[in-house]
Amino acid sequence: MFRSLKSIPLVLVITFSAVASAGPLGIGSTATPEMIAGWDIDIRPDGAGLPHGEGSVAQGEGLYEAKCASCHGLFGEGEGRWPVLAGGDGTLDTLHPEKTVGSYWPYASTLWDYIHRAMPYTAPQSLTDEETYAISAYVLYLNDIVDEEFVANRETFARVKMPNEENFYVDNRPDAQNERCFKNCADPKTFEIVTTINGLTPTGHFKEDSGVAANHYEGNPSAASESGISKVMNNTKIVLSDKATVGKGVYDMACQACHNPGIAGAPKTGDKAAWVSRIDQGMDILNGHAINGYQGADGVMPAKGGNMSLSNDDVINAVAFMVESSR
Amino acid sequence: MGKIYEPSLPKLMEAIAAEARGMKGLDRRNFLKGGVAAVAGLASVQIIPKASASSNLPPNLPKWQSHLGPGVVSKPYGEPSEFEDLQRRTVPWLTVDAASSISMTPLQDLEGIITPSGLVFERYHGGIPNVDPDQHRLIIHGLVERPLVLTMEDLRRFPSVSEIRFIECPANGGMEWRGAQMEALQFTHGMLACCEWTGIKLSTLLDEVGVKPEGKWVLAEGADAAGMSRSIPLEKALDDTIIAWGQNGEALRPEQGYPLRMLNPGWEGNTSVKWLRRLEIGDQPWHHREETSKYTDLMPDGRARRFSWVQEANSVITSPCPEKPLKQAGFVEIRGFAWSGRGKIRAVDISFDGGVNWERTELKGLVLSKALTQFSYRTTWDGQPWLLQSRAIDETGYVQPTLKQLRDERGGWSIYHKNSIHTWNVMENGDVFNVQIS
Ligand code: HEC
Ligand code: HEC
Repeated sequence: MFRSLKSIPLVLVITFSAVASAGPLGIGSTATPEMIAGWDIDIRPDGAGLPHGEGSVAQGEGLYEAKCASCHGLFGEGEGRWPVLAGGDGTLDTLHPEKTVGSYWPYASTLWDYIHRAMPYTAPQSLTDEETYAISAYVLYLNDIVDEEFVANRETFARVKMPNEENFYVDNRPDAQNERCFKNCADPKTFEIVTTINGLTPTGHFKEDSGVAANHYEGNPSAASESGISKVMNNTKIVLSDKATVGKGVYDMACQACHNPGIAGAPKTGDKAAWVSRIDQGMDILNGHAINGYQGADGVMPAKGGNMSLSNDDVINAVAFMVESSR
Repeated sequence: MGKIYEPSLPKLMEAIAAEARGMKGLDRRNFLKGGVAAVAGLASVQIIPKASASSNLPPNLPKWQSHLGPGVVSKPYGEPSEFEDLQRRTVPWLTVDAASSISMTPLQDLEGIITPSGLVFERYHGGIPNVDPDQHRLIIHGLVERPLVLTMEDLRRFPSVSEIRFIECPANGGMEWRGAQMEALQFTHGMLACCEWTGIKLSTLLDEVGVKPEGKWVLAEGADAAGMSRSIPLEKALDDTIIAWGQNGEALRPEQGYPLRMLNPGWEGNTSVKWLRRLEIGDQPWHHREETSKYTDLMPDGRARRFSWVQEANSVITSPCPEKPLKQAGFVEIRGFAWSGRGKIRAVDISFDGGVNWERTELKGLVLSKALTQFSYRTTWDGQPWLLQSRAIDETGYVQPTLKQLRDERGGWSIYHKNSIHTWNVMENGDVFNVQIS
């Protein structure tokens, strides 16, 4: 009796505060406005979330060159294989669509939000609001979406219209309709079997020939006759230098996958026309491009063909083989 | 039937391969590593001193039986046998930097529907943050009655659930839209895993904060360098979204979002934001980078689908596969996985002739909603070539499409959501190659 009397006021207090602020289970503490303000960094297309402050294209240029260009290129063209930020207009319905901020992104707010939360890549959330306005303005400028006088702030930024905005629509799958057929569901006479490109996949963990600089052509006559490059070599009786002979082994393992068929924009080995102007650049540039990778007009050449276990000399030898076979 | 592919293995390689086939497990692997050096001539094959392994075979006493083994807690946290080669693997040329890259689950080595936590594929946009759980907070705010900040301890007080669900990157198979590229199951389908996830239903948390009537969307945000953020419609959030701290019976692995992640069952993996630090309720979606620039599906007319969340029914044969060729003629159980983001797998069919004729397979073990489901077909193989395919049907009646059907709708540049019927070409010698039929 005595004890329960004593506890009555306490119970009342707890009940009152629970009614005022707690949910059904009363777990957790109130997130204060200060806590929320520190973490609430998101921006929406209607401008919600954009902070005070401003930044101009002109201010953005210097900041961009200092903080972004090393990866994304001076003009947003992307250094090496780092993402391209500008260009690609009119490519989305072609066989080489280039999705960039300017050609693809539906909203400018996304740019502010993303740069502020995630860039520069190695120092996320290090930019001030002013810097973010300025750099965002500059990236829009690189994409011809704003002019060089543009000053970005809450009002002006929320009004920027992106050219591709109208071209997004909500997922309308299921689209492809298959039937659960059991007999004679396809006509085998129409089959064309497309095989895997050799050499793109790391297969050392299960495949005997992987990582081996095997001489595919000499070792297997049927493959040799199918290979464009051997044909070229047979026809013109190219005599390879020692370097190129060694390089051929590397080439077979790490380069032929793209450079024999000429996929993804790779110049075909043996195709003189495709190589003339490339060879004119000089061996240093070719070797540099092959070792470090680059984004060219035709496609992406991955560093060392994607095989980072190759030494620089391996790659240089392979380039020698490619160049000597394509002159 | 059209042209059947002939693998372009030089004769020398085949000889080495044949030699290797007679060996098992580690012997074979060591041999193969040696084999790299041995290419120059078969003579060096004899040098590899692994023949002694046979002294463990009957009728001899195996060496591991002739002395005591290590005792309890010799490894406080156990690990796989040294004879196993279980590894996530990546394709180095896919991405420019490892901190924004992907590795794949070795589906070829999985036994059953649960993916061990250490083998779950990885996808980061800014690397793995090293989050101290005592200093981790989840803030829920926006259009709510009671904005809350929750510690991990707070979260564990809520009524919890445990559910087995798959998670799949929508780019799974995305390298193959325009042609067969990957020579291994791990790379064609390995952006996929299935785990038991433990946590709270998001609906429970939303009850606790009280969503205002205007609240229609939830922004989920991670505590990683990418500040990963996605807009989730309230419908999904109230349906089956889980806020998880547990995975396969233990705390989440750092790679999987330790100490707290979102899990949107059946939806593209990117929506299941890891290292979850914030949920904001709003009346519109945010259209952030991962739902505009990325994770939208470009169609041939140049327009793009957004909010393409669901992972449609898919399946693949995991045995045989390129990593697991057929080694002996005679009885063979063909095994594989099927899964659907729309619910349970109802059936899986199999074709040996590239999709001309189909047979029904048997579903094995647990058949759970939005989870990997095993299928099995027993047959014999006498060295004939096969064009092996599997076709999943889910409980909504959706039938996994052919590649041609998908390409007819979507062209070849949409990157994401390629769930078409997959073809393995089994060769006369039992080797298995990834091919496409068009
Ligand atoms: C060290 C290299 C590096 C630097 C420096 C860098 N970025 Fe990035 N940036 C990246 C990478 C890598 C990605 C892709 C990240 C991912 O995969 O999610 C990216 C993505 C982007 C994107 C999105 C591209 C798209 O199409 O989705 C934008 C916009 C961007 N960066 C802007 C900037 C800006 C502005 C700066 C300077 C403040 C900057 N970046 C500095 C590496 C860099
Ligand atoms: C994944 C496909 C791929 C692989 C593998 C590949 N390349 Fe390339 N390579 C390309 C593409 C695409 C280009 C053309 C880029 C452009 O100029 O637009 C190219 C261009 C080149 C060039 C011409 C450079 C120039 O400046 O014109 C050289 C040299 C080259 N590659 C060497 C190699 C070597 C050596 C290897 C193997 C170690 C290799 N490539 C592997 C795709 C590839």
